Amino acid sequence: MRAVITLALALASVAPASSGPATSGPPPSGPPLSGQALDARTESVASLLRCPVCQGLSVADSPATMARNMKAEVREKLAAGYQQEEILAGFERSYGEFVRLEPTLHGVNWLVWAGPIAGLLIGALVVGAVLRRTGRAPAAAEELPSRHTLPDDPRLAVAVLRVRELAYGWPGGIEGGPGARGGESGGPAGSRS
Amino acid sequence: MEVSAARPARVNVKVLAAASLVVVPLLAILVLNLGRDPRSVRSPLVGREAPGFALSPVGGGAQVALDSLRGKPLVVNFWATWCVPCFEEQAALSAGARAFPGVKFVGVIYEDEEARSAQFLKERGEPYPSLMDPEGKTAIAYGVFGVPETFFIDGGGRIVEKHVGPLDSETLALLVRRTLESAR
Repeated sequence: MRAVITLALALASVAPASSGPATSGPPPSGPPLSGQALDARTESVASLLRCPVCQGLSVADSPATMARNMKAEVREKLAAGYQQEEILAGFERSYGEFVRLEPTLHGVNWLVWAGPIAGLLIGALVVGAVLRRTGRAPAAAEELPSRHTLPDDPRLAVAVLRVRELAYGWPGGIEGGPGARGGESGGPAGSRS
Repeated sequence: MEVSAARPARVNVKVLAAASLVVVPLLAILVLNLGRDPRSVRSPLVGREAPGFALSPVGGGAQVALDSLRGKPLVVNFWATWCVPCFEEQAALSAGARAFPGVKFVGVIYEDEEARSAQFLKERGEPYPSLMDPEGKTAIAYGVFGVPETFFIDGGGRIVEKHVGPLDSETLALLVRRTLESAR
């Protein structure tokens, strides 16, 4: 029933264009508005309409003549008692769904509404998976040789000790590191295999 | 060849799948729309009954109503004197109005002053009437985005085509013929 009324009003809204909106067709379904209520409703309905000649501006926000004309038409229709959905459907009949700044929930439009939520969920899953992987990393690190262990190859071990001495001033590796100072005498004997 | 054989390319299947998920639909949209004429805007009004109007001609006179123009194919051209492409197509439209006596032509002034429009028509000639649309209601009812835009309406009052941008003689003749054919 609602669909029938909407369609009928949409038809009426594009009827005799010069003689005011919807002079024929079914009567408006709501009470006529006036005064401050009319001003407020005009702004709120106009903010749901895209200005066709602007870049992403609503009819309420645009200073373009086309937007002003559309806003005037919204106001006339609200004053006559037409409801928001009836008015939006009227403009949609002329401009297509493009004119709605908030697409209705049907068909592919679900993607517009559900897409960001789905993206957020997928993102959260990816972040969770990455965190779980990096969370496991410290456990694996324990199995790695600590900084002060030395390679099995005695010649290489001597070279490493020499480098440590040059870099840190003593052959035990970084001070304060795992098992720093004391854990190692500085010779290849301290190596772990 | 030896270098590539030595370093086999490592394809990350997950990355490839995720990228395909984004790229393939975009490519599909591109390919499906390659054949479309960008000037031929899909208006929801095409195929439907043309919105009615009753507007006064530039310079005054009796109102011209859409209902009074029915029975013959009709070309409704939205234009303005401040619109340069409208100048360009004016010659084609005037020639078209003379070449197709079985088709009615009407102009609708879009966001322009009556005096300026009258002066323009006086200077350039007026082979068909142009109508004032003071509050832009007709333009809104026809879903006009800008000028020039031209609607081709068959004798039964149904919109057959909508053309966005300036018309040349060939396109005009093509669209008029299409409108004439659709009436049969």
